[in-house]
Amino acid sequence: MSALDNTRAALARIAAHDAQVNAFTDVLAERALAQAARVDAASLTGPLVGMPFAAKNLFDLKGIPTRAGSKIRRTAPPATADATLVARLEAAGMVCVGALNMDEFAYGFTTENSHDGPAHNPHDLSRVAGGSSGGSAAAVAAGMVPVSLGTDTNGSIRVPASLCGIFGIKPTYGRLPRSGATLFVAALDHVGPFARDVATLAAVYDALQGPDAADPSQVPMPVELVSPGMKAGLGGLRIGRLGGWFDGPQTPAARTAVDAVAKALGASGTAIWADAEATRAAAFLITASEGAGFRLPELREHLEDFEPLIQDRLLAGALLPAAWIFHAQRVRAMGKASMAALLADWDILIAPATPTPATPIGQEMLTMEGVSMPLRPSMGLFTQPISAIGLPVLTVPLQNAEGVLPIGVQLIGRPWQEAMLFRAARVLEQAGVCAAPVAPAFTD
Amino acid sequence: MLDPKNFDPGAYVAAVAPAVGLQLSAERQARVAEALALVVKVGAAALTRPVPESAEPAAMFRP
Repeated sequence: MSALDNTRAALARIAAHDAQVNAFTDVLAERALAQAARVDAASLTGPLVGMPFAAKNLFDLKGIPTRAGSKIRRTAPPATADATLVARLEAAGMVCVGALNMDEFAYGFTTENSHDGPAHNPHDLSRVAGGSSGGSAAAVAAGMVPVSLGTDTNGSIRVPASLCGIFGIKPTYGRLPRSGATLFVAALDHVGPFARDVATLAAVYDALQGPDAADPSQVPMPVELVSPGMKAGLGGLRIGRLGGWFDGPQTPAARTAVDAVAKALGASGTAIWADAEATRAAAFLITASEGAGFRLPELREHLEDFEPLIQDRLLAGALLPAAWIFHAQRVRAMGKASMAALLADWDILIAPATPTPATPIGQEMLTMEGVSMPLRPSMGLFTQPISAIGLPVLTVPLQNAEGVLPIGVQLIGRPWQEAMLFRAARVLEQAGVCAAPVAPAFTD
Repeated sequence: MLDPKNFDPGAYVAAVAPAVGLQLSAERQARVAEALALVVKVGAAALTRPVPESAEPAAMFRP
């Protein structure tokens, strides 16, 4: 099919299904058709040529305001250029068809956005899609686009990938450029893609790599393509499970999923990271403080225009003592060091991505194994300690983990070792353990 | 670093919010104190964690 055919088909699926899912906040048909025509007129080659995608609405898209899930930014001047990642995908021949729903300023794990409405989980429309990149995951799971872009500060790629049952990669901190993306917590923000199969995810990840002088946070690493070695299998990989904190309260679905992945990958032991809880706590503090600090002028002037679910959390974060955050950054550094020692013995560690499959929209509390906790922050129990220390994670999906609901498992690697994660994910996909078909209600 | 038993979120919010330019109603202060209590509850695992003097903060600035 031509790029124009693919793009028209994607736009038709969005028109047919997005009223149910609410994944898109902006459908950019004119822009997409123009890009598709350029792609068809050019002599591009490669696996991504003509493939549609969409981006979380915190990525700049030339010509529209970058709202970052907020009401406040809707009247901002239109972006004058595309975010770097968007530009790279279009340079590879892909076609951006729109912008996607998210938690306001990426502060949340459920995409219950009061301004744009909640993103609905394509596997059960009464449930959350996860967040904060909920629209990104839902759009892919419903088959409206094969690829999307998201961000992950504490789990915002991995949580929605888990709840929507698709693949997602949160690369090593500093690997992919963030320029043109609205930051939430600069110390912790990552960017990355979602897809329904490992080969597509790998091709997209490869297209996104490369230095970007406009991003002061990017680490100057060489491009390390993962697609060429993706089929290398598990030979030589030392794979284990993460216990301790990661064996804490969770649903049977989460435990069963980890067991299945561990068995399929031949996990040979369990690693205990004693600093997991303290590192998660450090990330929680840094997020609260830095996330609020970024928004303090707007909090002073436009408090009531913020998402009601986060107003009080942001205000509390704005008041945290500097000494606490300094201490949290030191705890984070200690967590990084103790995990590095652990990873001397392991190439990949397996852990749940979320403690539960998707929960009903509006649910406040989560009770698992006799323990009750606030639902929204608890969705990141198992993702937050890992992003706090910047490790790469590929989330792999298992379907029908609890009735019709999928759930994801984290494959966690050493810094800059994304290629190993893709090898393992490919093995799981080939073995039929992990897959991400379009959600059954949207397979027309 | 933190004495959770003696930390009073309500008193803290009332004292500090005006200092950063946030004028909050009493009702709002109570809700923010509740949110702060959750931050302290989750953050306690870090705030009560001893760190050696040699532990440098993770944040890094590259000139």
